[in-house]
Amino acid sequence: MSGLFRRKGNRDEAAPTDGTTPIALTPFRQTVRVRGQVTKIRQRPARGLPSLVVTISDESGRVTAIWSGRRSIGGIGLGRDIVIEGVAAPSPDGPTFLNPSYLLLPPPKG
Amino acid sequence: MRIIIAGAGSVGRYMANQLLEAGHEILLIDNDPGVVRKAIGTRGVEVTLGDACELDTLALADAGNADVVAAVTGDDEDNLVISLLAKQEFGVPRVVARVNNPNNEWMFNDMWGVDVSVSTPHLLTALVEEALNVGSFVRLLSLEQGKARIAEVTLADDSPAAGRQISDLGLPRESTIVALIREGHVVVPRGDTLLRTRDEVLILITGDAEDAVRSVLVGTRPGPAAREQ
Repeated sequence: MSGLFRRKGNRDEAAPTDGTTPIALTPFRQTVRVRGQVTKIRQRPARGLPSLVVTISDESGRVTAIWSGRRSIGGIGLGRDIVIEGVAAPSPDGPTFLNPSYLLLPPPKG
Repeated sequence: MRIIIAGAGSVGRYMANQLLEAGHEILLIDNDPGVVRKAIGTRGVEVTLGDACELDTLALADAGNADVVAAVTGDDEDNLVISLLAKQEFGVPRVVARVNNPNNEWMFNDMWGVDVSVSTPHLLTALVEEALNVGSFVRLLSLEQGKARIAEVTLADDSPAAGRQISDLGLPRESTIVALIREGHVVVPRGDTLLRTRDEVLILITGDAEDAVRSVLVGTRPGPAAREQ
């Protein structure tokens, strides 16, 4: 899905959490990578195209990621640490990413 | 503002002219050389030949710095792809898309990056309704994914609102009268503006205030069939 419009550069080359920006500093309209914890998951809507709306937070703030066309993504659950990369657009819910690339981080041990 | 219009057919060119007059910076994109040639005649409008469904075309058009992208081609699929790219890859704050086939309207929402969709057939139906039905409540335009709507009522002779001041109507808080059209002129509504029969009243409504607005402006009257007698 997000492979359709894959961005240039191979993000696997760098450590996954390198170059992340604190969420409160998320710039609009440029490619950015942020890291945070999944704090809210909503499925929308009952009618029409399904989509997954996920709130990702760190100590500094929160952003919204929308993945169209799916009701769930394996591994994305409440409390999970993830890194997303994409372009944020302004919206009433704050910075919102549409179909960002994502990377699941291993859950903390113990 | 910087506005990119994808689709330089009659709709796109007309929009370009209107928006140019309003002082905006316009870029038209179309992939048909014949259409582009036609559009080049428009003074002050930048025109690009290219496929706006391609990421590279939008990047060349500097979509990353556009305030608005309007996808107004005659093809709904193209309009959706353009909207999605504009929002997903460039974070364009305002994406407007044209719906050609009303059956596709359900897809034109934020899942595809669309902030505002305009359906010509739907608008035409609304305008025909409006022309036919004095005194009925006509929904003209839906904004913010349907959370806000602009509706119109032409006040009939027996409208409960006729002859009253706007501030006395008791309209719900979720609604506001945004304009009056009286004898072909726009009247800016104020609290002390007196409504008259045959005024076309344009109302912005959010939430579930529609029924309340209807009863204030139209009253509780039987349907059109009964009214004609």
